[in-house]
Amino acid sequence: MKRPRNILLVDDEEDFLATMARRLGRREFEVRTATRCTDAVPIVASGWPQVVVLDVMLPDTDGIACLGRIKQAAPRLPVIMLTGHASMQASLQGMEQGASDYCLKPIEIDELVEKLIIAFNEAGASA
Amino acid sequence: MLDFLARLFRSQPRLAPEAVQSAFRDHYRSFRALITANNNALELMSATEDMLSSGRPFGMAFVRGEMTALTVNVYKMVRSLIALSDGRYQELDERFKKITDQIEAILSRQPEAAGSAQILDLTVIDRRVVDQVGAKMANLGEIRNHVGLLVPDGFAITAAAARHFMESTRIQDEINRRLKTLDVADLESLYLVSTAIQELIAAAPLPADLDTLLHEHYGHLAERCGGAPAVSLRSSALGEDSRHGSFAGQYRTRLNVAAEAIVEAYKEIVASKYQSQAIVYRQQRGYRHQDVFMGVGCLVMVDAVCSGVAYSHAPEDERSPWLVIHAAHGLGNQVVDGSSAYDLLHILRESPHTVAVAHLADPAAPCLSEDQARELARQALLIEAHFGTPQDIEWALDRQGRLVILQARPIGAPSKEASPPRLQAARSLVEGQTPLLAGGVTASRGVGAGAVHKVTCALDVLNFPRDAVLAVETPYPEWAVLLDRAAAVVSESGQAATHLATVAREFGVPALFDLPGALKQLENGQTVTVDATARRIYDGRVEPLLEAARHRPNLMEGSPIHNLLQEALTLITPLHLTEPDSPFFKPVSCRTLHDITRFCHEKALTEMFNFGHRYGAKDKSAKQLYVVGMPAQWWVINLEDGFRPDTDLTTPFIRIEDIVSEPMLAIWRGMTAVPWQGPPPVSMKGLGSIIAQSAMNPQLDPAVRSRMAGRNYFLLSRHYCNLSVRLGYHFALAEASFSELLTESYVNFQFQGGAADERRRRRRVQILGDLLREIDFRVEIKGDALSARIEKRPVPYLKERLVVLGYLLIHTRQVDMVMDEEGYIGRYLDRIHADIARIRQEMNEGDQT
Repeated sequence: MKRPRNILLVDDEEDFLATMARRLGRREFEVRTATRCTDAVPIVASGWPQVVVLDVMLPDTDGIACLGRIKQAAPRLPVIMLTGHASMQASLQGMEQGASDYCLKPIEIDELVEKLIIAFNEAGASA
Repeated sequence: MLDFLARLFRSQPRLAPEAVQSAFRDHYRSFRALITANNNALELMSATEDMLSSGRPFGMAFVRGEMTALTVNVYKMVRSLIALSDGRYQELDERFKKITDQIEAILSRQPEAAGSAQILDLTVIDRRVVDQVGAKMANLGEIRNHVGLLVPDGFAITAAAARHFMESTRIQDEINRRLKTLDVADLESLYLVSTAIQELIAAAPLPADLDTLLHEHYGHLAERCGGAPAVSLRSSALGEDSRHGSFAGQYRTRLNVAAEAIVEAYKEIVASKYQSQAIVYRQQRGYRHQDVFMGVGCLVMVDAVCSGVAYSHAPEDERSPWLVIHAAHGLGNQVVDGSSAYDLLHILRESPHTVAVAHLADPAAPCLSEDQARELARQALLIEAHFGTPQDIEWALDRQGRLVILQARPIGAPSKEASPPRLQAARSLVEGQTPLLAGGVTASRGVGAGAVHKVTCALDVLNFPRDAVLAVETPYPEWAVLLDRAAAVVSESGQAATHLATVAREFGVPALFDLPGALKQLENGQTVTVDATARRIYDGRVEPLLEAARHRPNLMEGSPIHNLLQEALTLITPLHLTEPDSPFFKPVSCRTLHDITRFCHEKALTEMFNFGHRYGAKDKSAKQLYVVGMPAQWWVINLEDGFRPDTDLTTPFIRIEDIVSEPMLAIWRGMTAVPWQGPPPVSMKGLGSIIAQSAMNPQLDPAVRSRMAGRNYFLLSRHYCNLSVRLGYHFALAEASFSELLTESYVNFQFQGGAADERRRRRRVQILGDLLREIDFRVEIKGDALSARIEKRPVPYLKERLVVLGYLLIHTRQVDMVMDEEGYIGRYLDRIHADIARIRQEMNEGDQT
């Protein structure tokens, strides 16, 4: 049986979320989206997502703090950080806080998909 | 090695089978993550160095992006290794932090707001201000100020000005709001929103200070022209970094703008950032629209009698001897959009630039005289020489008969392999000369000449003469010590991302890799010229090539960003940790990120290979493979999903039919493909040597059995297999992972033989190495130890090699006993070759049926 591949995308730009959701949907990922950390955390807590893709710039809190809340709700859930402004320190901080990977905007869809597959393998292996 | 392994084996507490499985899963996951991160890190280092030496323009966005990606990958390697080694190597963390802090300090020194000027005159513009004015205007400034050609008078309205405009209008929120409601798949709504946003920007007032500046600069322009010239306004976008530069230049251009319409035209071009196709492009890649800024060039209109486009190379073929000119009467975009009849000229790139072919729209009235065409060709080549890649040039001829350059950009996407034009011109001179060798992979660009010096061992290193051409079979990191002395490097194997390639680029030593047979073709002491860029090796010194290679322009050199990246790279690419056996191969010795990757990679391999021994499972947990007709006993430890789910686990045996591990089945298929015929007849000399060695070394005496002796383990999951084999006196480890991701697909093999004397042991690994190379393994031999690897290949490709490896595991040891009898060796090798050919053929036939 094929494992479901559930992704939660968290980004404040709805248009970007809609585009990504559609493009990932075409590649047989199940996608849900949230524009704020407060909306994302309950979805994480519900156990639905197997991977989270999280933008570091969110309106209600900064991405690193949101990552902390997600990790608190689901410590082993792989989280891929997204960042538009490349910042070494912020990205490393994200990794130290438990992000499993990070992806620089502008996103190349193939690069993101590859990182997602790796994250799913990890999620599967530790399940 | 045996002693070492035995010690490890004893020191580890016996774990329950479930604990072994869980530990293995964790280790394996860390290992895979480490390998992937290692590949990424090496590729990033290679790409960054290439950018630095290419002379292509790049901004801080590129530098920060590459540095961030690199440090994250190295961080992952460090974390993975610490996990993989059960917490050893913690001190790497500290080294990593220290190095990245230093890099960050360099990066943050760059004043990103350096360009606060809102308007820059063309006289002060060149590539160093690309971050302020965008690539299009930066290139034009280069042509005016550094090539010395005529371009229209004018100035650039910078990104800072555009930012100032957008911030002062406070319409960004409104724009974002409208974009949020947008579904880009709905074309009608896309056009509506795009138009509405552009109107919003057009309607917003320009900040007073910018308005004043703009009029001041236009006033100066008018003074210089003696009148109120019409101008063109051209977009010169920035913020879309070099990795994805394809979209720059797609925005709007306004021609013939009168003085009173300049502000309106400026706003229109700034607004063209929100053209529908630009919105889609950014949205699909997750760019924030507000991060892309529009530089705008304001240039005096040329009163042109004719205008057009010149390609310094025929666009479809970089090797073409032609330069192509399109020309039409008047000024405008007719040529570019193909909307009117135009003249088409082919001109020889070589001086005196003979016009070879001319298709004239009106033969009675050519746009350009032959002299003018030749002059344009000369200028086009100057521009190409300056930028280092073939150029697509917009030009005009004014009423005074002067050629004016309006714009220049690289033809097509900037190619990594594009070579400096001087070199290409020189290459045309050696066209008739047949290279000794051609092909391979450019590991470091450039041309170098010298006497060939083959290096296969440490002694060769000591004897390496200055300015010789280093010729090696495999680009080991150890050879890096020779690069300050080498004129060029040639290697039979290896890729651009190997350590030696990185160091070669750092030293600027031309390097050409992946040239099978190079060592046979080249003689020691023979003088050759290595053109690593064109991937050719010539006999003797080819002076025109060497001369041309000395003039490589790098236009970014000396710019603040170039200097900054160069400085950051000193903490990244130099490799100090080259010799794993050295007492200095330790975390504390890591001075660069490259050192850390090298250390992590080396130790990860060791950790992974030793896993089976470190976590010695209880005998109970291992099932003995139930087979007949095979030498030795074979044990199987199921780490995850390597057995059929309904397998009977109550017996101490497992049947091969119950195993579903694809890599193991491939190895096993090879091991059993040809019946084992027992040891071959032993020559007296060979036997004597083995007995003598056994007597000297009690570890090798079969009577002194360790727990491992005679036990061969497979550690399995469905897509993974780790096999330790002891057959006779040999010790071998084979590991394979199959994955849908190429970066996680590999076969890894290590072999070390005991018994027999040193010379025979070396000979043995040489023979095995040759056989493995024939099936495309990358082989490294150190003393009597061999390691071989294939990675990043599709599963069927790996499977075929794994089957052959299985066969070799069982059968090469037969060569051992007859090594002193050349006749025997030849015969055995013939048989082995025939067996391999048959096995591969059977596999391929099996795939077809």
